[in-house]
Amino acid sequence: MKSSRARSIAANSAIYVILSVMGILWLIPIAWLVLISFRAEPGAWTPYILPQSYTLDNYTRLFTDTQLFNYPRWFMNTLIVAIFTCLISTVMVLMTSYTLSRLRFKSRKGLLNLGLILGMFPGFMSMIAIYYILKAMGLSQSLLALIMVYSGASGLGYFIAKGFFDTIPKALDEAAIVDGANQNTIFWQIILPLSKPIVIYTVLTSFMAPWVDFIFVSVIMKDNYNNYTIALGLYQMLTRENIYRYFTQFCAGAVLIAIPITILFVIMQKYYVSGVTGGAVKG
Amino acid sequence: MASVSLKNVYKRYEGGVVAVSDFNIDIEDKEFIILVGPSGCGKSTTLRMIAGLEEITEGEIYIGEKLVNDVQPKDRDIAMVFQNYALYPHMTVFDNMAFGLKLRKVPKDEIKRRVTEAAKILEIEHLLDRKPKALSGGQRQRVALGRAIVRDPKVFLMDEPLSNLDAKLRVQMRVEITKLHQRLQTTIIYVTHDQTEAMTMGTRIVVMKDGFIQQIDNPTNLYLHPQNTFVAGFIGMPPMNFINALLTVKGDDVSISFNDINIALPKKYSTPEVKAYDGKEVIVGIRPEALTDDVRFVENHPQTQLPASVDVVEMLGAETYLYVTVAGVTSMIARVEPTVSNSKVGDIAKLAVDGNRVHLFDKETELVILS
Repeated sequence: MKSSRARSIAANSAIYVILSVMGILWLIPIAWLVLISFRAEPGAWTPYILPQSYTLDNYTRLFTDTQLFNYPRWFMNTLIVAIFTCLISTVMVLMTSYTLSRLRFKSRKGLLNLGLILGMFPGFMSMIAIYYILKAMGLSQSLLALIMVYSGASGLGYFIAKGFFDTIPKALDEAAIVDGANQNTIFWQIILPLSKPIVIYTVLTSFMAPWVDFIFVSVIMKDNYNNYTIALGLYQMLTRENIYRYFTQFCAGAVLIAIPITILFVIMQKYYVSGVTGGAVKG
Repeated sequence: MASVSLKNVYKRYEGGVVAVSDFNIDIEDKEFIILVGPSGCGKSTTLRMIAGLEEITEGEIYIGEKLVNDVQPKDRDIAMVFQNYALYPHMTVFDNMAFGLKLRKVPKDEIKRRVTEAAKILEIEHLLDRKPKALSGGQRQRVALGRAIVRDPKVFLMDEPLSNLDAKLRVQMRVEITKLHQRLQTTIIYVTHDQTEAMTMGTRIVVMKDGFIQQIDNPTNLYLHPQNTFVAGFIGMPPMNFINALLTVKGDDVSISFNDINIALPKKYSTPEVKAYDGKEVIVGIRPEALTDDVRFVENHPQTQLPASVDVVEMLGAETYLYVTVAGVTSMIARVEPTVSNSKVGDIAKLAVDGNRVHLFDKETELVILS
């Protein structure tokens, strides 16, 4: 009895030590980024870790010194693209998932498999084709093109939401049908209110995509600096001729873009976690 | 309120599985019809076809005078109660009950009046603001019933509504649904696999097996005059005892014999239909209560006596079940009076059959010869 208790204490201690070390390892880069964003000395590399003097200039310069790098504009571009992508993708993912989970039609199985197979190819494989299609449509170098590219294939990400919908008893749909509801009413008034976790999860993932994508935006925007998003814009600060002067400003910019995403995460974290598990375990 | 008719209704699934075959019934207005049968007999499929949740492959379904084959469920004027209640978890009890009315654009005052009235009937007025998860199983089932009542439909469809409740609550709700039927005076079609529910609630019972109707009758007739061995074995608890026996006719005397035991049957069995089986094997059905170890009865009926060894005695209070082996080979169950029975495990008990309650079935077709 005693030895088993001692063993469990030892095991728990080991687990906490490992988790603490991992936690610290994860936090170090973030802490370092925040510290550098307040560093007064310029340059990318310094022989010391903690800055010798601190300043808010890096942050203020992002919004005042917009001649070369128009940070506020890029931030707004990204926000606009993210909001529209988020709205369109969420609706498309949820509707596709509902259709594949609830309705029975001839090509359903084929579509499910096709979706699965297409999902195995990385998205940027279609980059060149998309570029030429957008060019032919006269849409290249525009924010609209970005929104279309980010939300266009979102329906393919139906797996988790479909898995979640599958766990909602079919009898609820049938009860609603007998009550007089059509598919539209069932989707909006019965299924969606019961699927808050998966709705939140879908909103979060589709909102994040435009903030972190680099490849598509660089191919589509080319040299149209005004329509750059944050990821591409900030990268310009890291070129050989700019890096010495702008590295700390780059860090400040990186900290700032974490803010909207972090706020969204903190508010929705509770649902986000149960959303992933709720959809994945039973799906 | 309306009648319901099913004419030559079939349900075939892709892949050739036939769930329901040639289903014919005319359900009268205000009838309480029970569809009963073992799992997979097609009873729920039939109900779902009436509801419109399942397409029919062939045949016609009428609600009232109207052919509803291609009518949407919402336009059939039916309400359904599901086995797992199917309450909307995010809505309060009030909203659950009002949902159907809201979709039908019933004025708000009218919705409130109807929901309150139904809640009063079901005694759930104090629960109207609660969500389903804060209710017990019995309360949830009441809400599900309430949701059906407020719609004031022509026909109520109930798909095993009590099978998720515990035994005690089931008995209580059974009585309540019967009362509700008397009060609402409406047509109810009720699916169950529980023969006690079927016998106690229905005005008529439809016994089904493998998609086919076996017999449609009122509970008394179904019990006393089953049309085949399936119905005879399905209705009644403990089930009827079946024995293969040789039927012999001598003049007007009919007797059956098996394993060196001979039982003389009363005069009522001396009919041309029975006599036609002279010298042939038949299936003899004896209900457990038609077997007794009451000494006085046994002594008065020497012609129907069975010597049997008692294997198990189950005393249930009001009655005792004797599990016996007759003539060393045939297992049977007898339902006897605890106050009169003296049988103990290991005894060789003297049992006698009440000759008037013997059922005879054809061995090939398993259809009744006389009961």
